[in-house]
Amino acid sequence: MNLEIFNMEVVRALYVVSTVLFILTLGGLSNPETSRRGNQYGIFAMLIAITATILGPQVSGNYSIMIIVILLGGSLGLLLSKRVKMTEMPELVAILHSLVGLAAVLVGLVNFINPINEYVDVEKTIHSIEIYLGIFIGMVTFSGSIVAFGKLSGKVSGNPLVLPGKHYLNLIMVLAIIFYGYQFVSAETIDLSVYPLAIMLTISFLFGIHLVASIGGADMPVVVSMLNSYSGWAASVTGFMLSNDLLIVVGALVGSSGAILSYIMCRAMNRSFISVIAGGFGSDSSVASVKTEDQGEVQAIDIDEFKSMITASNKIAIIPGYGMAVAQAQFVVNQMIDILKNKNIEVIFVIHPVAGRMPGHMNVLLAEAKIPYDIVYEMDEVNDGFKNIDLSIVIGANDIVNPSALEDPNSPIAGMPVIECWRGSHTVVLKRGMSTGYAGVENPLFFKGNTRMLFGDAKESLLKTL
Amino acid sequence: MDIGILKESAHQERRVAITPSVISKIRKLGYNIFVEKELGLDANFSDSEYVEAGAIISDISSIWSCDVILKINKPNEDEAAKLSKNQTLISFFSPATHSVLLKKCAKDNINILSMDSVPRISRAQKMDALSSMANVAGSRAVIEAAHIFGRFFGGQITAAGKIPPAKVLIIGAGVAGLSAIGTASSLGAIVRAFDTRPEVKEQVESLGAQFLTVSLNEDGSSTDGYAKVMSKEFIDAEMSLFKEQCKDVDIIITTALIPGKEAPKLITKEMIDLMKPGSVIVDLASQQGGNCELCIRDEISNYNGIKIIGYTDLPSRLASQSSELYANNLYHILDELTPNNDGIIDINMEDDVIRGMTVVKNGIITYPPPKIQVSLTHKVEEKKPVDLNPVIEKKDSLIPALIAISVLFLVGAFAPESFMNHFTVFVLACFVGYMVIWNVTASLHTPLMSVTNAVSSIIIIGALTQISSVDTLSLILSGFAVFIASINIFGGFAVTKRILGMFKK
Repeated sequence: MNLEIFNMEVVRALYVVSTVLFILTLGGLSNPETSRRGNQYGIFAMLIAITATILGPQVSGNYSIMIIVILLGGSLGLLLSKRVKMTEMPELVAILHSLVGLAAVLVGLVNFINPINEYVDVEKTIHSIEIYLGIFIGMVTFSGSIVAFGKLSGKVSGNPLVLPGKHYLNLIMVLAIIFYGYQFVSAETIDLSVYPLAIMLTISFLFGIHLVASIGGADMPVVVSMLNSYSGWAASVTGFMLSNDLLIVVGALVGSSGAILSYIMCRAMNRSFISVIAGGFGSDSSVASVKTEDQGEVQAIDIDEFKSMITASNKIAIIPGYGMAVAQAQFVVNQMIDILKNKNIEVIFVIHPVAGRMPGHMNVLLAEAKIPYDIVYEMDEVNDGFKNIDLSIVIGANDIVNPSALEDPNSPIAGMPVIECWRGSHTVVLKRGMSTGYAGVENPLFFKGNTRMLFGDAKESLLKTL
Repeated sequence: MDIGILKESAHQERRVAITPSVISKIRKLGYNIFVEKELGLDANFSDSEYVEAGAIISDISSIWSCDVILKINKPNEDEAAKLSKNQTLISFFSPATHSVLLKKCAKDNINILSMDSVPRISRAQKMDALSSMANVAGSRAVIEAAHIFGRFFGGQITAAGKIPPAKVLIIGAGVAGLSAIGTASSLGAIVRAFDTRPEVKEQVESLGAQFLTVSLNEDGSSTDGYAKVMSKEFIDAEMSLFKEQCKDVDIIITTALIPGKEAPKLITKEMIDLMKPGSVIVDLASQQGGNCELCIRDEISNYNGIKIIGYTDLPSRLASQSSELYANNLYHILDELTPNNDGIIDINMEDDVIRGMTVVKNGIITYPPPKIQVSLTHKVEEKKPVDLNPVIEKKDSLIPALIAISVLFLVGAFAPESFMNHFTVFVLACFVGYMVIWNVTASLHTPLMSVTNAVSSIIIIGALTQISSVDTLSLILSGFAVFIASINIFGGFAVTKRILGMFKK
């Protein structure tokens, strides 16, 4: 059976349509209003690309296998997407990244075993490099994402792995990969190049693991977006290998998307990309030695005082951290803002870019609790306006509201942009106890004259205020 | 331990040391509370409220035998005689000016914690009754002035004509001054405030008042949280400023106090002569001699139609509020004194705040306490603004651009045409991606990642083109690739749809 309905030119034309739709997909995400249509564009684009390929001259048999496999994989994917909790989104994203990486490895291997075209001279060299590079990036994405998944789901310790001489270890692995790459490209026959390829597969597998394992828990948002970027580049290199512009373009779109997200995350923590890759917070021994002077004493309040502070305010800013999501307190918060709305008290949410465990994670968690997205603001939109805010309620956040980032040049988080809630009239911090945050830094906010502490479980405290 | 609270004996005192709202909190510290009948009547707290909160109503003589006595005003001779050995008294005491009483208490072995000796450090703010009372006094001063003043505070334009707003000058922007500023500006008056300490400018302005200064550059701040005495030049400049203001303003509220000294005379008879009839002066310093030359303590005097209020009982005139604040101050002190929540007072002389307040302990006069340097605002001011020094933003440099150009050149020099075609597409796609992604709103970064997850599975195309191959290994490998890419495509798009569906206005 041969379903070759389209010739190559038609397939190319459909690929162009698909490419444009993919760009529109990403463009649609500029606004929640248009984003749903964007996602539909994406589905269409994928449908067109797959149909064009299957019905084009590149595919000439095994249709039944193809359909069965797609349906099997598809139902598994749908099942995953229905089952996943919103707090587990980073895990899901990580595991999906690993699949893209693995697919890139497999496509590269098949292309190596069973080349479609014969190349000579420079073209052969370039093609070999493409195969090698594609498999390498795919493998690093695969193993790195698996470790990231393990860390995010708590199956692997979140602490950075510190092997002795880890920078040299990375360097040696990169040099080895380059060396075997040279061997691979210059091999005369396919049989001779199997050996360097196999070694490279092993090394890059270990390299990916080590890369992610040595990054600290606080830097996970960067890692997740970095792996997002890699999965794009893997697709792009595969496109080069197969001389397929659709793959090249779409891969590059995803690659730059992930790169930009990594940049945004790094900027939000005032860390350079290199220093994130080199090792996370907590692996730096100088951090613990920073001893702040006696800051005085915190002022604790009880629920009744908290209630009266809320009702005495006109405008309240809620600053959620990941702790809020862990406690599942956002649903209670939503009940609370409904009540406050009836009392004509304006409530806004202020979100720090690194508040969740992946970019935009907090927004999703709030949206899940049916909190309208038009009262959810980014840090930069509110920071200058805290003068107008009567009460800031900090729930499960610590480092992102730490004034020492701006005031103390010796602080480990110095220079990191933070939500400057202390510029408002009052701040109430809901907190279990006086422990420090991810970065292990004391928070002078708690000791400020206009800050009150409400100790206890955030969710229970909020329930009592209802 | 038992805590006893009695009615205040001072003339016209309406306040009460403990209100029902703090009783349950104090009981949680482990104390029993005994109160006199009709304790809070003048401050509008009924006996039933006290009983409901957990206090026990008792007769006067048994209250006098409680372990701890809480009061507002310092004990008079009668009361001091009723205090007994090992009892603890917490009240205002003014130990500097009452050495006879102090010695008597020491002789009788009574522990005295003086509310007016709470050190002015930020940790002790919640225990500082002087500040809470000053807050009430400042606000009430404006109300008293408004009561006597013959006109509105806020301006209006009515059918019957235009009403100009009142102009209020507040001298001294401490706790009382700031409170007066807030009250006066919320009544709609034009408020000006003067203070020798330039660091309060921001606070004054944030309350909506204009900050007046003299052009001399002298800082009146000191390390104990009060203003200090200024040089003669400064005082002259200040006086001529007041003279100018007197011609213009309708209300003057003076709050200038220097600890341990008589209040400075800031408003002279000569200045008052310049004021318009009907103007009002409220002198909050009248207890310590007054800032205004013509002020008479506890009275309203009328000088050529200008009324000068010298009340010293302003907090008592707002008895419910003052009592509430004072009771909270007391609670915080008891909280400090009871580290184990076991209802046993521990006068820990290592603690700066307790050390400062304690004027008699175990029969020994411990006043004055060793000096602690405090003013926190001052310390903060000295800090240089921090250079944020963002690591990410490097200087623009030509080097990366040059490297990029040479790499491109090298690629062009060696690569075949087919590669260059793809390469062009790749670079352009990167730029398109760059432009498009920066437009994505930050709130949608998670769906962006899940959708790019699905989108990057376009790699399925590569696997599909290989699936038709005849050899089994290739078929298995590419079949598996199609399988996992399908998981990704369906999963990615479906979860994105699910997330986006949650974003609602």
